[in-house]
Amino acid sequence: MKVLVANRGEIACRILHTLAEMGIPSVAVHTDVDRESPHVWLAGEAVALGATDGYLKPDLILGAARATGATAIHPGYGFLSQNAAFARACREAGICFIGPSPESMLALGEKRAARTTAEAAGVPVIPGAKECDTLDDAKRAADRVGYPILLKAAGGGGGKGMRLVRAADELAEAFAGAKRESLGAFADDRLLVERYVHPARHVEVQILGDGKDAIALGERECSLQRRYQKVIEESPSAAISERTRGALCAAAVDLARAVHYESAGTVEFLVGPNEDFYFLEVNTRLQVEHPVTELRTGIDLVGAQVEIARGGKLPAPTAPRGHAIEARLYAEDPYREFLPATGKLLMLEWPLRPHVRIDTGIRPGQEILPFYDPILAKIITWGEDREEARRRLVSALRETVLLGLATNQSFLLDILESDFFLRGETYTTTLEAHTWPAPAVPEAIAAAAAEALRTLRAGDSAGSSAGPTEDRRGDPFSPWRTLGGFRMSANAAGDGA
Amino acid sequence: MTWLDVELDGKRVRVAAARTRDGVWIAWAGRTIYVEEEKRRAAGRSSEALHDEIRAPMTGKVVAIRVGAGETIEEGTVLVVLEAMKMEYRLTAPRAGVVEKIQCAEGELVDLGKALVTLLELPAATPA
Repeated sequence: MKVLVANRGEIACRILHTLAEMGIPSVAVHTDVDRESPHVWLAGEAVALGATDGYLKPDLILGAARATGATAIHPGYGFLSQNAAFARACREAGICFIGPSPESMLALGEKRAARTTAEAAGVPVIPGAKECDTLDDAKRAADRVGYPILLKAAGGGGGKGMRLVRAADELAEAFAGAKRESLGAFADDRLLVERYVHPARHVEVQILGDGKDAIALGERECSLQRRYQKVIEESPSAAISERTRGALCAAAVDLARAVHYESAGTVEFLVGPNEDFYFLEVNTRLQVEHPVTELRTGIDLVGAQVEIARGGKLPAPTAPRGHAIEARLYAEDPYREFLPATGKLLMLEWPLRPHVRIDTGIRPGQEILPFYDPILAKIITWGEDREEARRRLVSALRETVLLGLATNQSFLLDILESDFFLRGETYTTTLEAHTWPAPAVPEAIAAAAAEALRTLRAGDSAGSSAGPTEDRRGDPFSPWRTLGGFRMSANAAGDGA
Repeated sequence: MTWLDVELDGKRVRVAAARTRDGVWIAWAGRTIYVEEEKRRAAGRSSEALHDEIRAPMTGKVVAIRVGAGETIEEGTVLVVLEAMKMEYRLTAPRAGVVEKIQCAEGELVDLGKALVTLLELPAATPA
């Protein structure tokens, strides 16, 4: 087996780490702007894809697999990970797609079909409409379901291509925006309409299947979101009883068995105040927040995916232990409407200590560009109980240093230290219901800043938040510098075979 | 980039600092701020006052331009849609006026702070 990782950033790095541990040769792919990104260095070989949308091009990815003799492709999350046509193209090319079959993907991953599958399996679903290809369809569905409604990308997740529409006069603009966004993010612009249920918690179940059987590995609560983008995830959920937990896991396994699910997947539910729950969707891929489950179960989910893909067994189900919390560090400015932030990473330090896991794919000196997901890193901690995990996460975030662009680090700390979080009162609307002021700057810090302005000089004119046009040869951090301009294109000292 | 020793509430705190051309990034105890140089801030203010330019609030791609030169617009009108990191941001008019000129093109990649649209005040505009 030789695995091409069709992704970038932290998730590509995370997958490549497991492949290295398993002794499986790996191939990275990268666009031009990503040619010096860390994931490129972790693989045995690297193939250039060209323009910034290269990760979305099935032909380019398959071409890279053929050129390097890769026998399998791990898609990560986002990009082509939930694209059934791509999974089918892999199969036709004789390349193993590490993920569910295209048939499972269509039955569960595509949101509209997933509702049908769930309904057939007796799992409660949110009122809505699956067929909204035109604005008129969406109008009719919204009128029937009643405002407010959610517009969602049928072929994606992660909040992209999703819009909350509070009234009929907002629908046209939201519909056009959601279509454009979902086309750009998933190469698919189909939309669906759902009633907006609130207040609610978002609880999801991790599943693993091998085509014959399926297991559930406990739940994750991911209620804390903004703009439908998850910010903090934890397991177990503080909000559900053992009985509800059992019912959620059983429903998830039923769905997985109904379609002979293969590989890792996540079944998402909305949980109401009386622990009433509604099936939302299945993410037919590895989730961003999968480390939360890994820390509680000790199972390497990527390793399990690879084992299943090469005909191995499901891991033995283990009882999850303790509590795990993940915080997503985003390149965005919480004090300027959460606008994406770009710029060069001037300084980067992670907390290295027990029970803290950092999943990241950035390096000092790297230019964070506007083309891809704003996720910089995930910081995940484990504790015997929720409070221990929380304190460890707060401590880890306090010792994380990232200079050069705005991030949500301070916002994450404020959430983790808020009264509502301490009480476990986390709903999907909680973050938006609070105001999040910028951190107060103590006098001593302001004085230190003034002193730094006066005495420090910009390191090698690393410049301000310079754009992508900056000359990379002037990059004092570039690993290429020490090589005197020598570049390798493919097959750098791989593990052969 | 460097570390500074700062005493904060009687405790020694490690403060990270990294200078850029225009200012300095400072981080302490998980909090990060960017402090711009005085002269830069002053320049920014005066240019804002002289021109009514709508500037890019982030580095990103112009995915749609919703108005044309000469068009009369109301406060809140969507002028330009920007996209970065797969999220869209709609730039709206801060007040009513006339679009004097469009300084960007659909599909263009614009840097933070670039002027995208210039507005003229309506001569007879009544304050909102």
